[in-house]
Amino acid sequence: MNIFRYLLYKDYLLLKRDVAGLLLMFLMPVVLVILMTLLQESTFRAITDASVPLILINNDKGELGKSIDRELESSGVFKIDRLIDGKVPTLREIEKEIASSRYTMGIFIPENTTENIQKNVARYVLSTFSGAVDLPAMDSVGFVIYVDPTTKASFYTTIMSTLKEKTQKIEFDYIMKEITRQVNEISPIPISTAGFAGQQVYIDIRDAKLEGKDMVPNPVQHNVPAWTLFAIFFIVISLSASIIKERQDGSFSRMLTMPCSYTEYLLSKAIVFTIVCLIQFGLMLFIGVFLLPVFGLESLNLGSSPLALIILALSAALAAIGYGIAIGNIAENFHQSAVFGAISVVIMAAIGGVWIPTFIMSDTLRTIGMFSPMHWGLSGFLEVFMLDAGVKAILPESGMMVLFGLVCFTIAIAFNYRRRLDV
Amino acid sequence: MGTKYAIETRGLNKTYKGKAHPTLNGLSLRIPYGSLFGLLAPNGAGKTTTINIICGLRKYDSGEVIVDGHFLSDGMKPIKPLLGLVPQDIALFPTMTAYENLRILGGLYGIKKELLEKRIDELLELFDLSASRHSFINRFSGGMNRRVNLIAGMLHSPKILILDEPTVGVDAQSRRLILEKLKDINRSGTTILFISHYLEEAEQICSEVAFMDNGSIICQGSPSELKNIYKSCETIESMYLLLTGKRMRDNQ
Repeated sequence: MNIFRYLLYKDYLLLKRDVAGLLLMFLMPVVLVILMTLLQESTFRAITDASVPLILINNDKGELGKSIDRELESSGVFKIDRLIDGKVPTLREIEKEIASSRYTMGIFIPENTTENIQKNVARYVLSTFSGAVDLPAMDSVGFVIYVDPTTKASFYTTIMSTLKEKTQKIEFDYIMKEITRQVNEISPIPISTAGFAGQQVYIDIRDAKLEGKDMVPNPVQHNVPAWTLFAIFFIVISLSASIIKERQDGSFSRMLTMPCSYTEYLLSKAIVFTIVCLIQFGLMLFIGVFLLPVFGLESLNLGSSPLALIILALSAALAAIGYGIAIGNIAENFHQSAVFGAISVVIMAAIGGVWIPTFIMSDTLRTIGMFSPMHWGLSGFLEVFMLDAGVKAILPESGMMVLFGLVCFTIAIAFNYRRRLDV
Repeated sequence: MGTKYAIETRGLNKTYKGKAHPTLNGLSLRIPYGSLFGLLAPNGAGKTTTINIICGLRKYDSGEVIVDGHFLSDGMKPIKPLLGLVPQDIALFPTMTAYENLRILGGLYGIKKELLEKRIDELLELFDLSASRHSFINRFSGGMNRRVNLIAGMLHSPKILILDEPTVGVDAQSRRLILEKLKDINRSGTTILFISHYLEEAEQICSEVAFMDNGSIICQGSPSELKNIYKSCETIESMYLLLTGKRMRDNQ
């Protein structure tokens, strides 16, 4: 025990004197979590607060004009202007405004549109009932829509579908009314379509979600655990560097000639770096709960199971330490470990959903991401923060991280044994 | 333990993976108790491999290693406290002070705190480093580093001290101090296995030397005995060149 205390003291001193490593492990994640949360929050706001500028000139006093007007207003997607510089614009002026990108879209509904549709329908039904072979002459009915050429095709198609749907509904209603009127003139029993809603098929659109997994975190809920895991995994650089330095300067060999075993040597490093991970974890939670609200962001809700959080933090620490020790044993020199360690952690973070949440990734990337230990950790933390999950719920994620750590430890020990003893 | 040898190897063989030729080829070495034993060999002859095997840092293919009567094949536990290794590399923690290094390394030998403090004071004084005890190793000169490296291997007063090139890269003053102190330590009863490329050093301080080449011992005895055998050789160096040849050796 006395010997182990000295190993701990050695690893503590080495860490304490590694200023660059400490900055990397503590300052970098603090800066990243604040910066990334603020960036994502402002981007999120920009997207949700944005509305499409639209000029609507509705000269129709009838039902169609009112219906389209009402539909566009209630969608919440558009910022609708009806006048430009205090007066009703001409078609040419609308075109110029759209072309100069001041507006994304301009809709011009001419006078008497509803009335003309009504007249056309009446003429058509009447001529059909009177047995006329030739169709009667129709009044022209037409909207003018100007679209900014840079507008996305999908958006443009949606608007066009809505307008067509409204027009067809009006036409259908008038056809029904006119047919009813004509039939009632010749039928001894009057019929009524007043109770006919016209829309018999109801489509219920719902978001597809897995039971208990409908998690769309806000920027704070996403970024705090994400960058905490990134910080925990970034200890790989310092940990592997310390192993390689000791191996290269001969102090590792010297220690093994002393009454201290390789297991004790690794255990000491694991304990010191676990403490580092727990400090990082506490620091990041502190930032999420107390510091981010100072920047106008939401405070992080920690859920109701501190034990689940501690288990997740310890599991993530074990995974990261195992990975760091494996790199420290496999890499030939410090440059190899630093480059491979940093790049692999960044890749794990990227596919694990640290930078971009996995719920907005493609299916393929989401599937790849499921192999990242950071994804396991992040899922576990989100379950605690958002679904109020307890210890039982996070055991699968925690178990995966522990397993990953143990596999890395085994690889490290096997590699070290072969290299050191040449067996 | 009923043996007169502090270290004995019997028919030791070792071939590294991927190497065609053995590094140790039936090495039989006997280092008597109380001797200051010089192991002299050209580059790549197997000196460092021999030390590493004795210290349990490398596995060997066949043969026997006996340290103070303990067979290495039975485990390193009884052997580790007997040995003090001073490696060729400055195997210290550069971001720590001399005192911190010695306190940690002494602690890892299992020395009790009070005794350790006393040993650190004594040895720093002995090697003229008391004034620099709280200075960082990475600010030391080459000679100072060598001396701290040496002290680190002696903190637990080992029965057997193994020194791999302890004077490499140091100035004449530091070298003289180190060699004098080694003679003092040997006189106090510590067996010393001394490996050096400086043959005049070996001639100056060793009570017994062995020449090693191609993984085995080619000649062993006290300097005076060997001079009687190889009468044409006035110095250990000329004997060494006679026995190992003048062909350049690089690490193989």
